[in-house]
Amino acid sequence: MKTASRIVGTASFLEEFFVQDCPLYGAERRGAPMVAFTRLSKEPIFERGIITSPDINMIADETLLGDKSANVFQGTWEGTITIVNTHYPASHVRNVYGVVGEIVTLDITEIALNVIGESVLSSTAAAVVCKLTGMITESSLEKAVIKELSSINLKKELIEKNLQAALTCFDRIPETHPHYFEPIKEDKMDEIVKLEYADPRIGTPSVYAKGNTRLKKTGNWRLFRPVIDHEKCSRCRTCFVYCPHSCISIDEGDYPQIDYENCKGCLTCFYECPKKVISKDHEVRAW
Amino acid sequence: MVKEMLTGNYAAAWGARLSEVDYVPAFPITPQTEIIETLSQWINDGEMNAKFTNMDSEHSMITAAGTAAATGARVFSATSSQGLLYGYEMLYNVTGWRVPLVLVNVSRGLSAPITLEPDHNDILSTRDSGFIQIHAETCQEVLDTILMAYRIAEDERVLLPVLINMDGFYLSFTREPVEIPCKDAVSRFLPEYNPKHAFFKASKPMSQGVAVLGGSAYSYFKYQMHLASLNVLTVHDEVAGEFKRIFGRSYSATEAFKIDDAEYVIIMSNSFTIKGKAAVNKFREKGLKAGLLRLRLIRPFPSTELKAFLRGKKAVAVIDQNISPGSGGILFKDVTTALYHDPDRPERILSFIGGLGGKDIGHAEFKHIVEEMEKSIETGIVPETQLLYTKNDLEHINNLLNIAGNPLEGLEN
Repeated sequence: MKTASRIVGTASFLEEFFVQDCPLYGAERRGAPMVAFTRLSKEPIFERGIITSPDINMIADETLLGDKSANVFQGTWEGTITIVNTHYPASHVRNVYGVVGEIVTLDITEIALNVIGESVLSSTAAAVVCKLTGMITESSLEKAVIKELSSINLKKELIEKNLQAALTCFDRIPETHPHYFEPIKEDKMDEIVKLEYADPRIGTPSVYAKGNTRLKKTGNWRLFRPVIDHEKCSRCRTCFVYCPHSCISIDEGDYPQIDYENCKGCLTCFYECPKKVISKDHEVRAW
Repeated sequence: MVKEMLTGNYAAAWGARLSEVDYVPAFPITPQTEIIETLSQWINDGEMNAKFTNMDSEHSMITAAGTAAATGARVFSATSSQGLLYGYEMLYNVTGWRVPLVLVNVSRGLSAPITLEPDHNDILSTRDSGFIQIHAETCQEVLDTILMAYRIAEDERVLLPVLINMDGFYLSFTREPVEIPCKDAVSRFLPEYNPKHAFFKASKPMSQGVAVLGGSAYSYFKYQMHLASLNVLTVHDEVAGEFKRIFGRSYSATEAFKIDDAEYVIIMSNSFTIKGKAAVNKFREKGLKAGLLRLRLIRPFPSTELKAFLRGKKAVAVIDQNISPGSGGILFKDVTTALYHDPDRPERILSFIGGLGGKDIGHAEFKHIVEEMEKSIETGIVPETQLLYTKNDLEHINNLLNIAGNPLEGLEN
């Protein structure tokens, strides 16, 4: 997403806007939610850091829609265009999540898998956002994809494929919605409060709740679901031994069973299975 | 000259590259790592003719930087937060050696609790070390200040190292259009470093940074550092003048924003200043005469300039993005000290603490500051230092505390 925000940034820069782009992340690990921002303006930008009321909100990972800690609709307002990477129609997302403002959906993962062969979303996500701004031309998007992907030393063939995927997405997104041009509403007024001294057990950074790591299910990180063909499984336990997250257990019949609530889809079992009886299914309904 | 989308980190690397530094001792730390990664890549690719050494810690890194500078090499390095503190002991040594290197600090709140986002307790903890300190607001300013910093540090009237501060994330990882000056222009501005005082020659033995026993010798050398630092007030303006002549961009020790007719002035530093400028614009739309001062040169502290800017103002509010527990904001003291003896000083000077660990300073905060200034003028009462913390912030921390588990039964969070 950092690269996506940079492609949008560079494309806007090429269109001679004032631009800022920045990513924000905490602990860096696979599957950790992260957010990146791009600001573009005809006037100098008198702001910095996170965007609190986005005009366009791109949700690249649909599994985050229901994740309270990710809170992907935070700050969206009537003027926001939300674009979700999903195969579901927009009306379904609106009904399930009660999204405020305009909503658009497009399965950019599918486009990336078909065209690039991998679920890398930087160019496709950027293309969708560029189109929704209504201010960035296809030619600037093209130049920006090439510039940004070259700067991370991607091979020429891969850049070509990314470009093709990006242009496909650019075409698939309808013309921008007029709401975008309405002025942003005044921030909801917050107020200053006075902090009082707290009991030191409250006022120090300590965690008392025990065993809560278990409550955080990691199954929705998965892009591919490993599926064991138990008919052909020889019960050799290789997958059980190799699973780095202890998500495979052995059942009473001595067969390996995958804990799909927590399997992150690393596919170590898929690669290690000596009989090749584990297949991988693309997760399209993660919620 | 080209304009590119650069992060603050990348802009810092360009500053070092254009300054044609000889030596980069390094140690990585988030959010500074991109600076030294970029430099090591350029040096490896032969785009930069310098020696790069990855050290075992910031303590060794600052030692290596200082000793290399003592031999007459032009030295650049960068660190952040815990790293700066880990090398802290050597900061006082290299200033005592009077060596003109440039060190970039990428601000990040200090542990504990550990965090990644910026405030200025890291950089301000070094304010008494003798380092010259310049705090930047934009990515362009990071690059430009590095070029200026070598000119200042290497000046015979100064010979002190310079620390340049940029905010983690808000500058370090934020890209914005930055003009990369061409090499010829930089060469005209910043000639090759040929020090008269520092050398390493077999025919000319010398000792640097020797031990002294007895307070009179110690006092003499320490006070020389103070005088050297004060000279920067003049040298900075000369260097900034020449920088403007060659590159067209202008930097002053203190940046004034809509200050001339302002009655209420907010004082800030670093990248959050832009939020203050936006607030000033909003207040002006509503007819309130607000203005802003950005403290750029922090050491030496430009007291005279500050006094002139604030003479006759109704009220001043200092927002410190740092906290000295048990005392309050650090820069508030410098500001009030500078103003105390001026007969025409502002009627009220208020102290606020905000943006700790990168907490946003939003419109509610600025509105509160202005209201407090007005109230203080009306009532004659000057409030104690206040933390800029909102109802939403309190709700947020209470949620987190609930998740963390409340050990006090029956106590509502």
